[in-house]
Amino acid sequence: MMKLRRLLTSYVSRRIGMSLVTMVLVSITVFLGVRAMPGDTAQALAGEQTSPAVLAAIRSEYGLNDNIAVQYWRYVSNAATGDFGTSARTGLPVLDSITQALPITLELAALALLMAIVVGVGAGVLAAVRRGKPEEWIANGIALLGMSVPAFWLGIVLVLAFAIAMPVFAASGFVPFGTDPVENLRRMVLPAIVLGSGLAAVVMRQTRAAMIDAMQSDYVRTARAKGLAPRTVIGRHALRNSLVTVVTVLGLQLGLLISGAVVTEQVFVLPGFGKLTIDAVFTRDYAMVQGVVLFTSAAYILINLLVDFLYSVVDPRIRLGGSQ
Amino acid sequence: MRRIPATLAVAALLAATTACSTLSPPGEATAAKARLTDLRPVRDGGTVTIGLKSDPDMLDPSLTSTLVARTVFTSMCEQLYDVDQHNHFVPQLAASLPKITNGGRTFTFTVRKDARFSDGARLDAAAVKTSLDRHLHLRGSGRASEIDSVDKVAAIGPYTVQLSLKHPDVPLLGRLANTAGLIMSPKALRQYGSKFATHPSCVGPFKYVKRVVGDRIELAKDPLYYDADKVHLDRVIYKTITDGNIRMANIRSGDVQIGDQMGPVEVRNSMGEKGIQLLNTPSLGYMGVTLNVGNVHGIDQKPGTVDTPFGRDVRVRQAFELSLDRELINKLVFQGMYEPACGPVPPGIPLSSPVSCPGRDVAKAKKLLEQAGVKTPVPLELMINTTPEDSRLGQVIQAMAADAGFDVRLRPTEFATGLTRTLAGDFQARTGGWGGQPDPAGNIDSLVGTAGSNNQGKLSDPEIDRLIVAGRSTSDVAKRRAVYRDLTAAINKQHAVIYLYRPINYVSASDDVSGIKLSGDGLIRVKEAGYVKGSR
Repeated sequence: MMKLRRLLTSYVSRRIGMSLVTMVLVSITVFLGVRAMPGDTAQALAGEQTSPAVLAAIRSEYGLNDNIAVQYWRYVSNAATGDFGTSARTGLPVLDSITQALPITLELAALALLMAIVVGVGAGVLAAVRRGKPEEWIANGIALLGMSVPAFWLGIVLVLAFAIAMPVFAASGFVPFGTDPVENLRRMVLPAIVLGSGLAAVVMRQTRAAMIDAMQSDYVRTARAKGLAPRTVIGRHALRNSLVTVVTVLGLQLGLLISGAVVTEQVFVLPGFGKLTIDAVFTRDYAMVQGVVLFTSAAYILINLLVDFLYSVVDPRIRLGGSQ
Repeated sequence: MRRIPATLAVAALLAATTACSTLSPPGEATAAKARLTDLRPVRDGGTVTIGLKSDPDMLDPSLTSTLVARTVFTSMCEQLYDVDQHNHFVPQLAASLPKITNGGRTFTFTVRKDARFSDGARLDAAAVKTSLDRHLHLRGSGRASEIDSVDKVAAIGPYTVQLSLKHPDVPLLGRLANTAGLIMSPKALRQYGSKFATHPSCVGPFKYVKRVVGDRIELAKDPLYYDADKVHLDRVIYKTITDGNIRMANIRSGDVQIGDQMGPVEVRNSMGEKGIQLLNTPSLGYMGVTLNVGNVHGIDQKPGTVDTPFGRDVRVRQAFELSLDRELINKLVFQGMYEPACGPVPPGIPLSSPVSCPGRDVAKAKKLLEQAGVKTPVPLELMINTTPEDSRLGQVIQAMAADAGFDVRLRPTEFATGLTRTLAGDFQARTGGWGGQPDPAGNIDSLVGTAGSNNQGKLSDPEIDRLIVAGRSTSDVAKRRAVYRDLTAAINKQHAVIYLYRPINYVSASDDVSGIKLSGDGLIRVKEAGYVKGSR
């Protein structure tokens, strides 16, 4: 037990240490990448009606005349104290904008994930269990559609159908869950469907493949031979083992969910990370781009960390640190 | 077999791929008859949400550089002067039009005595001086270059302001009817300084409540406003919805009541639709192609010689212009919903004169190229924005110019990159436009004057420069009109800025909202708007 705890502590510390190193590398990459973009912040902010004096003042105000190393050091040392700078475009603190946008994207991603798990796993199991039957063809067809249809188009179609023709849901906007839960869901269901449809399709296909594999394995055959009920065989034996693959896929796809939210948020006018990022990139709002990318990277790294920990929970054969 | 001209082939292709509805002949389809307001009586109360095409930048009149921020300011920050629906200057926070004396060197005006800022501070001459001084001297102020003719601002009485100018500058009135005329609360300026944008406070029908970046700006009725009796709405929300189709979908669903800057395609698709009304006003600006004729070392340097056929010979530029058909461009690219244009002075303002656009003349264009002795096809790289409309525009120009002997290569470039390249002189030609100002000097001086801060192609012509000075120096309307007529002819003679079309500002709105007003500047005013009596 003590050995397991030591192993766990060492594993967790090693993974957290690696995550921190990754974050530092990400911050350097983002910092340099943003500055390597063609187009000048000062000019993007001043617009076409500009003058050298205005450009010089903007450069001075945001420290753009200092060398890159000085700018980077100033940025990380401020960020370490929670100061991510001021948006050059809006004049508002970056952290305020991020803390306003983050919960929206996280809620959207969580709902999309929930939808993807419920629909994807359910359809995947159904397709595997009912192999060769119409249910499998239907599930495969829907999965193919889910992967092929562009989010932008699906969003517009859903708005036309369920916000205009049959106004069950709202076409756009965000209301915090704490303010009005019903209104919140009314506004978040359609975006979650759009964002989650692609992931649901991937999950469905992975679940189906893993379940087919599991259903043909020796332990399932043994379970059946022991006379266990089909529901128990599928749920407790085949599905549980198949979930390792599904969790891996979900972990890999979660990052895509956050980046995929960019399009969904545009369609449904959700003031999340996606909109914030696009506006920041187009105006070369360095502080905002850096803040957004750092937070997104942190979320991505955290998710991967959680997925790694989840492996050991869903499959007892996997031991910490790769030891048997 | 006779070859189908490339232009017609592209025209047919574009017509088939860009429009769902039938195209009408040019002119007939243009919703050119202005509809600036709707006067149905309204009730008090309610919230109106306005969908904006882009997110405003800083809500600071000195630092903003976007037109969309001015749209928001129309509700919360009044200006010294405004333009009415006939493009005449009218006092807003000023109590009268300025008395221009000393050969255009002194502007004297009084300000309203009944106005208070949303934070309770009183409007007086000192407050106006504080704002104008800030516009002039704040680091990074975008207004400084607009009113740099102002030498000194003085409060010569409790409510009387006098501006002493370095040189005659009659068009200054037009700039005071724009962002440079926005007045901020001195109390808020003292408290927040350069962070005014976080707590903007002005005189206006609505006051600032909060902003969620990328999403919305919320305003509430200001009880301190001097004209509060005319304000019906409780709240106004400006919401950023960049895609025109989605803006329209939100109007249809009732989530948004007013859609700003609607595109021709969305407008055409919604024309006659139940529950949606359309307001429109011709723009004061223009769109066209700027050719680089002298921007060699950057926009802030002296003009040089651009060593291309376009830079060397005006006949090549003229031939390029003659290859273009403005009517067909309007029809193919904008569904006939805009207006062809061939000059910087918009029609419908007191200083404009009628201008007839030259028609397309491919034979003459070819002859000019022959006279210029250039080898055809003449290459030209045309920088375009990364929007579907600009892409279509570029393709049509490419096809039309090819008929006359030009090889136009399109270079789609995202805004910030394009701007950097343009200012550095790293371009041959670019599509673009100008939002427009009610005084024609605002559309000309900085754009084609040799010393102009926004003279992207670095056109330099002594006659143009002479006429620019003449236009600034007299306040006599007839004389100025004549100057701008001559100036338009002088600019067009150089064929360095090819004016192609004038956008129409389209605003789509829910039918149950009335009292929306558009002015000549195309900005939406909701001061007197509200829900129609008897509606929801």
